[in-house]
Amino acid sequence: MAERLCSVGLDVGTTSTQLVVSELTVENQASSFAVPQLQITGRQLRHQSEVYLTPLIGTGLVDGTGIREIVEKEYHRAGISPADVDTGAVIITGETSRRENARQVLDALSAFAGEFVVATAGPHLESVLAAKGAGATDFSEKTGKKVLHMDIGGGTSNLALVENGNVMSTACLNVGGRLVKFDEQDQITYVSPVLKELCKLNVGETASPDVLRPVAKVLVEALEMAAGLREVTPLLEQLSTREAGDAPEPPESAVVVSFSGGVADCIETVRDWREFGDLGPILGEEIGKSRLCRGEYRLGDHTIRATVIGAGCHSVRLSGSTVFCRNASLPLKNLPVAQVTSREQELAPEELAQLVEKRLSQQDTDSVLALPGFSSPEYDRVVALAEGLSRGFGGRPVYVALEQDMAKALGQAMALRLPKDTSFVCMDSLKLQQGSYLDIGEPVGPALPVVIKTLVLSANG
Amino acid sequence: MNKQELTAMVAEILGQMGLPEPMVKGSDYKPSNPGPEPKDNGFREGDFVPDVTALDLRKLYLQENAADKEGFARLKMKTPARLGSGRAGPRYKTLTMLRFRADHAAAQDAVFSQVAEDFAEKNGLIPLKTRCKDKEEYLTRPDLGRVLDEDSEKKLKSAVSSAPRVQIVVGDGLSSAAIGANAMDCMAAIKDGLKVRGIDTGKAVFIRYCRVGAGDAVGDVTGCELVCVLVGERPGLVTDKSMSAYITYKPHTGVSESARTVVSNIHAQGTPAVEAGAHIAELIETILRKKVSGVELHLEGAK
Repeated sequence: MAERLCSVGLDVGTTSTQLVVSELTVENQASSFAVPQLQITGRQLRHQSEVYLTPLIGTGLVDGTGIREIVEKEYHRAGISPADVDTGAVIITGETSRRENARQVLDALSAFAGEFVVATAGPHLESVLAAKGAGATDFSEKTGKKVLHMDIGGGTSNLALVENGNVMSTACLNVGGRLVKFDEQDQITYVSPVLKELCKLNVGETASPDVLRPVAKVLVEALEMAAGLREVTPLLEQLSTREAGDAPEPPESAVVVSFSGGVADCIETVRDWREFGDLGPILGEEIGKSRLCRGEYRLGDHTIRATVIGAGCHSVRLSGSTVFCRNASLPLKNLPVAQVTSREQELAPEELAQLVEKRLSQQDTDSVLALPGFSSPEYDRVVALAEGLSRGFGGRPVYVALEQDMAKALGQAMALRLPKDTSFVCMDSLKLQQGSYLDIGEPVGPALPVVIKTLVLSANG
Repeated sequence: MNKQELTAMVAEILGQMGLPEPMVKGSDYKPSNPGPEPKDNGFREGDFVPDVTALDLRKLYLQENAADKEGFARLKMKTPARLGSGRAGPRYKTLTMLRFRADHAAAQDAVFSQVAEDFAEKNGLIPLKTRCKDKEEYLTRPDLGRVLDEDSEKKLKSAVSSAPRVQIVVGDGLSSAAIGANAMDCMAAIKDGLKVRGIDTGKAVFIRYCRVGAGDAVGDVTGCELVCVLVGERPGLVTDKSMSAYITYKPHTGVSESARTVVSNIHAQGTPAVEAGAHIAELIETILRKKVSGVELHLEGAK
């Protein structure tokens, strides 16, 4: 018996805003004689919007009303109403991913909420979603090849290193097609500040392939360095975005390079350099001629839409199918993660309770406690853990996420030790990291859909 | 010494030795959880031969000169099947052969060994037995494995004052190892799960030489509304410790097999015992609410 979820992805980027509607199929993969095992077995695109220019008020501030109009229009075209939407993600990317913008979009879409999950993407999540949306993760899983996926957009390039279908690391570079813009008279109207020390272009000068090509070449060199195809110079550091943390670590062995983003459309297809009034076509052409395309490379299944498709089809995942849930008002949003390590979870109940209490009191909102759990534990072990955890939460709502398959057993053991009216969710098969945030949706069969985010609005932000 | 004398002498010696003791008792039979972690080559501290049963079959790829070793290894991680074992001429390699025989032996031991004598007492279960005299009869006479012997019937009658809603039965079935490894952890989780949901259970019983149908006989005697039989599954080469739970609503002798709801594959590599127990508790609540089990329950769910 398959269950279908309607999932919406909305990507509000520096230059463009897009929306996709997809249908996720959830099926029990276990035989009817075994404990159920729900999995997302299908992801089908139902509707893709046109690519809109992101509505802005002044510079960099997103116009919430404009976003709402786009969503309304596209829902109408797709033939869905807000009530049909089971899950989804709004991600706000690139230079627009500022807190006040996230708040704007959140407020504007509140009428569309339902099960809608609103996430502000950091470059990490964006890179992961692009790699999934472009099919780079599937390709890596099927072939076993190591893939470096590059989503080359207007302002930035999001990089994701993928092994056996898993994203191992991500990075973000200030490499994009719209770092230089020019008008119909070929007059340069914009040069991104990140290029200040890298080229001599100035606003008002005349653009031509001859003046743009050297800039594109420099940017491509940075990409080559990130792919381990060129010796690293300070250039790589210089072009790394601040919020992504360190400069990308070039992969140690050969990788298949994979491309998406608007610029990816200009790699194999020859475009007129004037077509978009920006650096894109020449940047794409230079990538095609570079070391990046000398070995095995692939163009994404989707290029300019990779990120939004990732948001619509791949942002949601399912918890394990044996969970414990009582009195919780789902969906829950933006729960910060507090972590207990594999060593700490072995502590005696009293000590564990103290530790949990300390970890939770460091967070200023309700949070989810993440711990590895035990593989096929004895029941005594479950009881000891339940004892320590339920005391540690001390009256707070109780949200627990485990890696190992033991949530239902732990959950009911904790339920016996918690006040009956406690808001309580205990789930498993989830690996969460300190510093990430969790959204929990309404149950799908026996499992819970969740979205793991790495960067988010703080509750009072 | 003629042939007759020789036979007599052998018989005498065997008689003096008594019946052969099983090599391992069911409850302490733990071949795949043996002390310190073995190294990748199967050697443990102080060993002078590798322990072939300690090797993870999913990681064991013996094919020589493989065209794509990593690719095959990746696929192999998805299955415990004995793939990529290479060959020595037309035969198995020694390691493959030894491992196969070891697993086969473990499976046989699980069938023929006994759950420890004091298992029921140690775990606070009422010790019962079916009409089978011994393992041999148990294996050849499934009908006797579904009926309690007279003593057991009496014992159960006197132990039960009023009909419990839920009766838990632990039975050795075809794998004593499965019961030793999983039954008590699973039962503890079921009991807590039922407690959370406000459902009472009677005192649990242990039945030696038990078939699933013995739960029906327990139903006859106790008048319980639902019986949950935790029973050792027929062992295979992947694991000798797999347990199943058979849940029957309104159990009585002659109840249709289609009335049983089954949760199978309960073992460390399948569904962990405690998690299965928690799942079973919820299932029991559903069955009590809908007042049907087995195929009917599935049809009910599909509505």
